[in-house]
Amino acid sequence: MGLNPGREHKSYPSVPETVAEVDSFLDERLRAAGFPEDMMADVAVSVSEVVNNAVIHGNGRNPEKHVVLELDIQPDRIRISVEDEGNGFDPDALPDPVASDNLMREVGRGLFIVRAYMDEVHFQKMGGRGLRITLVKILPDGDSG
Amino acid sequence: MKLSYQERGGVVILEPKGKILGGPDATLLKDQLQTLIDSGKVRVVIDLAEVDYMNSTGLGILISTLTTLRKANGELKLANVTEKIQSLLTITKLVTVFDDYESVDEAVATFAK
Repeated sequence: MGLNPGREHKSYPSVPETVAEVDSFLDERLRAAGFPEDMMADVAVSVSEVVNNAVIHGNGRNPEKHVVLELDIQPDRIRISVEDEGNGFDPDALPDPVASDNLMREVGRGLFIVRAYMDEVHFQKMGGRGLRITLVKILPDGDSG
Repeated sequence: MKLSYQERGGVVILEPKGKILGGPDATLLKDQLQTLIDSGKVRVVIDLAEVDYMNSTGLGILISTLTTLRKANGELKLANVTEKIQSLLTITKLVTVFDDYESVDEAVATFAK
């Protein structure tokens, strides 16, 4: 039995409340589509990391800049894209958060966590007008029908 | 996220409930912890039993709190760490940083030693 497919996108202002708004939206949509309960937290945490990065770093907390979320539910996987209006960054140039020198840093773990929890993570620079990060979570065999 | 707290034997027990993902909820937790520290309460247990999950923002608050409390000769201990948060602490190697206990009573008792 697979997920009920669907696709939609929403735009959010770059304000602190957006991370909770996105979480509520995803929670409702994924539950309605039949997404496994035991995978919800991994997705929720991962998306929150990317949304926070978009709001804070990509869009500089500017409420007039937007974070665009696209949710694509397919029978055997979900694909979530988060796009900001920033200059992008090199995901391979980030310090290793589990190196002993970095362990007590208060920041810098978000992408590491996303890569641990999601099956695929893709980065796409939008021609100098923003960065789009796409996360994919694939259902285990037997759940996709 | 909702936040309540109690004091027991000179130890503050914070009880967040819900999700810690950033935004105003994270600010609430951070501000409450700072208020406690400013009033000289440096022995703190955070009861995570009712926290559904947290992200790196939540971890950052825990680390910041731990660092600040230790500088003030205090300590932060975690209690009732759920499976999901344990997984997060493990993959980020923060299991080596935080003391966590299976109950609030156990965590509070270690402050008496």
